Amino acid sequence: MPFYRTDELKTGTLVGEDDYGNKYYQNPMYFMGRSRWVEYSPAVGMDYDGSQVPPEWHRWLSYMSDEPPTVAKLVKYPWMQKHTENLSGTPQAYVPYSTVPAKIQAWTPPPKKR
Amino acid sequence: MLRLWPLRQALTTTGSLRLAPTCLTNKKSTAAQPAPQLVEVYVNDKQVFVEPGTTVLQACAAAGVEIPRFCYHERLAVAGNCRMCLVEVENQLHPVLMPVMKGMRVKTDSPMTKKAREGVMEFLLMNHPLDCPICDQGGECDLQDQSMAFGSDRSRFTDMDFSGKRAVEDKNVGPLIKTIMTRCIHCTRCIRFASEVAGVDDLGTTGRGNEMQVGTYVEKMFKSELSGNIIDLCPVGALTSKPYAFSARPWETRKIESVDVMDALGSNIVVSMRTNEVMRILPRMNEAINEEWISDKTRFAYDGLKRQRITTPFVKNEKGELVATDWENAFFTINNKLKGIDGDQIAAVAGGLVDAEALTALKDLMNRLGSENLCTEEVFPMDGTGTDLRVNYLMNSTIQGVEEADVLLLVGTNPRYEAPVLNARIRKSWIHNELKVGLVGSPVDLTYTYSHLGDTAQVLEELLSGCHPFSEVIGSAKKPMIVVGSSALQKEDGSALLKAAVSLANRLQATTRVEKSWKVLNVLHRVASQVAALDLGYKAGVSRILKNKPQVLYLLGADEGRVKRDDLRPDTFVIYQGHHGDQGALMADVILPGSAYTEKDATYVNTEGRAQLTRQAVTPPGMARNDWKIIRALSEFIKGTSTPRPLIPPQRFLKDFYMTDAISRASPTMAKCVQAASAAETC
Repeated sequence: MPFYRTDELKTGTLVGEDDYGNKYYQNPMYFMGRSRWVEYSPAVGMDYDGSQVPPEWHRWLSYMSDEPPTVAKLVKYPWMQKHTENLSGTPQAYVPYSTVPAKIQAWTPPPKKR
Repeated sequence: MLRLWPLRQALTTTGSLRLAPTCLTNKKSTAAQPAPQLVEVYVNDKQVFVEPGTTVLQACAAAGVEIPRFCYHERLAVAGNCRMCLVEVENQLHPVLMPVMKGMRVKTDSPMTKKAREGVMEFLLMNHPLDCPICDQGGECDLQDQSMAFGSDRSRFTDMDFSGKRAVEDKNVGPLIKTIMTRCIHCTRCIRFASEVAGVDDLGTTGRGNEMQVGTYVEKMFKSELSGNIIDLCPVGALTSKPYAFSARPWETRKIESVDVMDALGSNIVVSMRTNEVMRILPRMNEAINEEWISDKTRFAYDGLKRQRITTPFVKNEKGELVATDWENAFFTINNKLKGIDGDQIAAVAGGLVDAEALTALKDLMNRLGSENLCTEEVFPMDGTGTDLRVNYLMNSTIQGVEEADVLLLVGTNPRYEAPVLNARIRKSWIHNELKVGLVGSPVDLTYTYSHLGDTAQVLEELLSGCHPFSEVIGSAKKPMIVVGSSALQKEDGSALLKAAVSLANRLQATTRVEKSWKVLNVLHRVASQVAALDLGYKAGVSRILKNKPQVLYLLGADEGRVKRDDLRPDTFVIYQGHHGDQGALMADVILPGSAYTEKDATYVNTEGRAQLTRQAVTPPGMARNDWKIIRALSEFIKGTSTPRPLIPPQRFLKDFYMTDAISRASPTMAKCVQAASAAETC
């Protein structure tokens, strides 16, 4: 599955796994920029997407921090929302509703006289 | 108070001048005169030949040179007060509205002309606010265009702090026309339109020089049914449309050329559309119908297309309430109802705004169901030849024919409100061709003088017998026209009235004075669909339906309330198809949402029998569909369900065999055989 997805064979050490089943690897032998990578959860199949990486792993993956979130735990506040992937193109996508008045005023039948 | 250009004066002094453009197109007036000597004129050293009496402007147009102008308009009297049209003739500046003279050398782009125009433009702009960004005329403004083309590139107006620009109070002239009088450049087109075309002397000027103001003297409504046309005539943004104010720009809208259905004339219009919404309606030039005017109902009624619209099908539930539903359910309901109902028990009524395609589709559907009960809401006498011959219900001598006619007899009609554009045409003919007008019916203000012959149809009999004073006038006419209003034919004595009008027309037609090709009798209809419906074989009037009381009634846009729920039996199933929730929808059991005239490509036939096409400007709202498509889809549902009747041969039993023709019916032997055979069958 990972090979089918990436067309690439890489070896590295498993650094950690997030709540969604994505696995994060590191191998400093590679150049910076190629030395940390993610193997998406098999659960998503071929519907993997960059937005499925939660923010704490995203900062490690893009070299914002040296330590992965497994080692340097991030502060967790109760008001923080759970991470969701980008829902554009799915039925759950956000669609703004129109705030302008309707161009056509529809006729509604008057209530029946008793 | 100063009234500019009273009509009479304009007629006497500039009559020949003003008539010039119409003379060129009017075959009648030119054909009678011998070919005039042409005058040689040089425009920018280019030689052109024009008829004497034409203006320099027309000579320039013949040479392909366009002259900037504000006050001049082809269909109005010449005023010559905006000063924009200056040209150089023999080293002197002249307005181009003067008549040509032999060997005249006109220079339209000499330095002198250019400088003069720049000067005039500078003066105009000095007293004109620079509010183009908030002006509704922006983008279609003559002043904008011509200041770009002929104006100076800078202004010397610096007096912002001392006295400022000229400012004029706005006038309130009614709910249709918005006035921003500071923008007015005193071209007086609106005044001339009001007094010449509309025939309402409401507008005029007060003051002179810098203090001159265009207005209605005292604040009142500009009471004309053609008032909207002064919006188009105004070369600047002084007169704009009140409903359209600040709603769209001309470059944002798409223009769709279409046809109006508010009256039976079928005026040509342009529908301006933006984001699937009709923004406004403007006239389109058609010399044969509306020239370039349209009535106020045509121009301003478009906001009715956005209100009270039927957007989904409705079906009545068990409680008797109309509930919104989908197309399939509505069709199923109709289909179930139609099962097992005899063709005679189905009837259809077509309303006044229905197009010919829908009429045809409905007629085909009804005929297939075995029904011939198709009629229109609008009544027309059906006895005699009725509507079998097309000449019986058309405006035969055409709208343009009014300009050729010399005597016009109006019977039971008020063309000023039934067909305002036609009335403007009659007025034009009354001014220029000295048309004599007679009116039978209650006296109304028609904007021109007419002889009132009487209130009742009795007058027609008197005219026929020749004992009426007007019969001499109409009898001596070369091209008489009788216009019968369709509303007069809807009374009980309508057929008698039509018969009297027809016999009077035939009498006039038979005289040698009247050409054979000239048709005397004209019918002026009131609704757009009537001629198409009669052409397609609909019966006029709903009397048959009121008498027969069908089980199923199909109302196609019939909203005038000619058939009421109380007129039908209580269990009659009423189907209404149309675009507005009006009287028809209120009495319906199933409602099918149709589309209005701006939402479909459809054919309408006007009162003179001219078939014209409306073009779709916007999509029908919600689930509404094109009318003929609804009927076609419905016919597909009903397809398999009409109960097939067994083919019964006329002679089934032995008793049927003996008597089939005159001889065998006369034969006593055969009679005995029938008796015996019947007796044998029963026992």
